Amino acid sequence: MRHDPDQDGRTSLRQRLRNSLWPVLKSLVLVGVTTIGLLILDQFFALRHVTLVYLVPVVIAATKLGIVPAVIAAIAGGGASAFFFYPPIYSFLVQDPQHLIELPLFVFVAIVTGHLATNLKRQADLARRRETEVQDLYAFSRQLAAAHTANDIYTAIRQHLTSMIGRRTILFETAPRGGVGATLSNEERVPERVKRETEAVIGRRKDSRSDSVVDDGEGHLWLVRPVAGKAEDFGVLAIDLGQQAGAKADAIRQRVDTVLDDATTTLEHLDLGQAISEARVRSETEALRDALIGSVSHQLRTPLVSILGAATVISRAPGNSSDPRLASLADILRDEVDRLNSDVQDLLDAALISSKGVRLESEWVEPADIVNTAIDRRQRLLAGHRVALDIPSELPFIYVDPILLEQALGQIVDNAAKYSQPGSAIQVAVRSDSTSVILSVKDEGFGLVGEESTRLWERFFRGERHASNVSGSGLGLWIAKAFVTANGGEIEAFSEGAGRGTIVSIRLPASEAPKPDLMVGDDG
Amino acid sequence: MDSSSILVIDDELHIRQFLRAAFEFEGFAVQEASDAEEGIRSATLKPPDLIILDLGLPDRDGSSVIQRLRSWSNIPIIVLTVRSREREKVRLLELGADDYVVKPFGIGELIARVRAALRPRAVTPLGDPVVRVGRLEINLATRAGTFDGKRLVLGPKEYLVLQILAQHAGRVVTRQQIMKQVWGGSHLDDTHYLRIVVRNLRKKIEVDPTRPRILLTELGVGYRLGT
Repeated sequence: MRHDPDQDGRTSLRQRLRNSLWPVLKSLVLVGVTTIGLLILDQFFALRHVTLVYLVPVVIAATKLGIVPAVIAAIAGGGASAFFFYPPIYSFLVQDPQHLIELPLFVFVAIVTGHLATNLKRQADLARRRETEVQDLYAFSRQLAAAHTANDIYTAIRQHLTSMIGRRTILFETAPRGGVGATLSNEERVPERVKRETEAVIGRRKDSRSDSVVDDGEGHLWLVRPVAGKAEDFGVLAIDLGQQAGAKADAIRQRVDTVLDDATTTLEHLDLGQAISEARVRSETEALRDALIGSVSHQLRTPLVSILGAATVISRAPGNSSDPRLASLADILRDEVDRLNSDVQDLLDAALISSKGVRLESEWVEPADIVNTAIDRRQRLLAGHRVALDIPSELPFIYVDPILLEQALGQIVDNAAKYSQPGSAIQVAVRSDSTSVILSVKDEGFGLVGEESTRLWERFFRGERHASNVSGSGLGLWIAKAFVTANGGEIEAFSEGAGRGTIVSIRLPASEAPKPDLMVGDDG
Repeated sequence: MDSSSILVIDDELHIRQFLRAAFEFEGFAVQEASDAEEGIRSATLKPPDLIILDLGLPDRDGSSVIQRLRSWSNIPIIVLTVRSREREKVRLLELGADDYVVKPFGIGELIARVRAALRPRAVTPLGDPVVRVGRLEINLATRAGTFDGKRLVLGPKEYLVLQILAQHAGRVVTRQQIMKQVWGGSHLDDTHYLRIVVRNLRKKIEVDPTRPRILLTELGVGYRLGT
């Protein structure tokens, strides 16, 4: 689509004329309608003091259309009273001296009322806009508080600006090593010309005003400018001005300036520059840590296979198996390898969760299978405890990832065994109600005290009471929670205090399993 | 004592060493190969009775090794895999692997799998048609079963599922393998029916159906009868 400046000029003149004439016409129509109404009423009752009625269109015009239409409505109302109702009728002449005073008085009162009404309206509008702005700002600061990475912060800034400017806005963050990266939602794309201009603007950033308008080649004009002109580096904005040009675009540009000045103050006030660089460092550190953990754990696990294998071979070897001392040494070796292996596995799982998230492979599962597998895989660990299972026979099937859920339950069982005395009881129970299936692990162990019950689910948290005498990575429950949450479940721990045991329960949504119509007539 | 021969294909020297020691203690003859090419060559020149295949080989993807071997032989294959790769385990089993062991493993577990995999797979006229697991006995010839000496009353689908598991006693059978044989090819994804049949079967052949000891579940993979 091509732009013809002449045509644009004419369009905008005609439009401006229409914009100012339209409310005046409307106010005259209001007066006309009032007059017709009064004329009809006049047929039945002899009306006096009709001028007062004309206050109605004046007030309506003042609140809906503005002060100029209101004044015009006031004068027209006065004129209509004189013409239609005050003798001599159908003439603007007025005979009665009382009416002579009444008419100017009416116009005066009407204009004052109109003015008041307009003011009131404006203030109400202003208050409403302030409220929206405050709400926006509140939402914005809440988003910032929850922001974890620089990307989160940029998304928040972008949404904030988009809602304040009221146009499509793309925020380019200036990447640490030069160049730009756009913060985009999925369905958006940045026109190539806009991207080039953005890079140019970043190059010129040191200038005081470095904004420019660029045509994206598809008829849309874009305003490209840094978010803040000062030292703070918040990135560069590209704002879609649409197909406007000339005066209209200038108006939007001015509005953008105002909004951005406000926004920059807010951003500086929130110490955003600092937050962004901290978030950048944090996410890079985490990525590094996860990569390191991943490779180290892999390196650790390979020898574990040989150690465990060799240890079990030695304990079974013909000459050795008869000597109980050797057998118990082999057991020690085996227990320690199991423990090391589960710590390494925790590290791998945690690194995987934070780098890739939890990937579900859900299917319909018999809840008892999850409990039995979790317990059977930990036979050695649980050998010193009295384990009781309480599983009803007719449980609903649940739609979950069985592997992840078994690992989550296993972590809880591990903890129950680790943080309780040998010989104590561990009870694993399954319950179901109409909406959920609940797996719970109850121990008679050390319980939870103080911050343990609140910080239990944190990554790397270990209770001070146990840090020195029970081995662990501090990752188990964090992993359990991640897996349960990913399966749409909830996990919680309850303890009556030190030495009084702990109950951990996993609540999973139970939904209707598919009806097995294939079974009909087969097995009855 | 067993005189079967086992081929171990693993790139880790230490793993091959302890596996050799373990199997020789049990009376097996052991061949070793340190990569896939050598393993396939060795299996071709001197076919072993069973192959132990590590999936983390440097030169070839585990599934392609299984496909190569299965193109000319049905020597039992047990794969050594790592945890949390259930989909991969299922795929390898579908490709023809007979069983798997998750690393790190105790040797007792691997030897139990090896013995189960070495048992004859089909009922032969000369072999014993009765499979015994704990108190359960299934006679594949007369299609009848007893539990604790009492005759089992099984529905047709229940019997079919039990029969497939009994034919593979001690070995894992994927849900898809069971579905294909019992319900045919069109219902491979409706494994829900299978879960219900299994639940019903457990009520008949387990002392405590909620704590099965005979019909075991391999989460995410399938089922296994006893060990």
